[in-house]
Amino acid sequence: MLGEREQAAIREAFVPIERDVEVTLELGPTATPVTLLAAGGRELDSNAITREVVDDVCALSGRVRLRVVEHGEAGPWPRTTIGDGLVYQGMPVGYELTSVVHAIVEAGRASPSLSPATIVRLAELDEDVAIDVYVTPT
Amino acid sequence: MLLATKLALASERVSARGVEASEFPAEADRHGVHAVPAMVVNDRYAWAGSVPEAAFVDRVLSAAQAALHSAT
Repeated sequence: MLGEREQAAIREAFVPIERDVEVTLELGPTATPVTLLAAGGRELDSNAITREVVDDVCALSGRVRLRVVEHGEAGPWPRTTIGDGLVYQGMPVGYELTSVVHAIVEAGRASPSLSPATIVRLAELDEDVAIDVYVTPT
Repeated sequence: MLLATKLALASERVSARGVEASEFPAEADRHGVHAVPAMVVNDRYAWAGSVPEAAFVDRVLSAAQAALHSAT
């Protein structure tokens, strides 16, 4: 699925990974199915594409371990979980391939790459905060 | 997406989820998403567009406070 240039770029992006990262890929029927079309009208199988992409990405670092779970029941699949709970729902292609690669790199760092001011503000949090980021591949 | 990821890794209080809007249009509609990237904080639409780290943190914390006050 990934070309040689993409693989080389991801290998380079993975260099800062300092600790093991577990990636869990969940596949299965989508609860609210939509038909996704590629250029030319070809229908896309989001589970199959995600499996191929995530397989390829995870194989590019000895620090990244992939676990695949196949669900029989409908749900928000394909879903990729990185580390302890960074979740990406959908096909990680286009710009979002970069997001998943960066999430793996961040999860593999010994300490977060944030400014000291941000770290201080986060330490003061006394309520849970759930951030959903809606994106598209283009 | 990357800043949300970094915040989630830096704090056990923060969780981050990326959602591909065209694959999950019902979720996007439910949150009132019309442009991407769109941020939803504690299940409420917050804003659309990319902003620098300090502004991102400001907005996330403000949105979380607003969601908390509206729930109480």
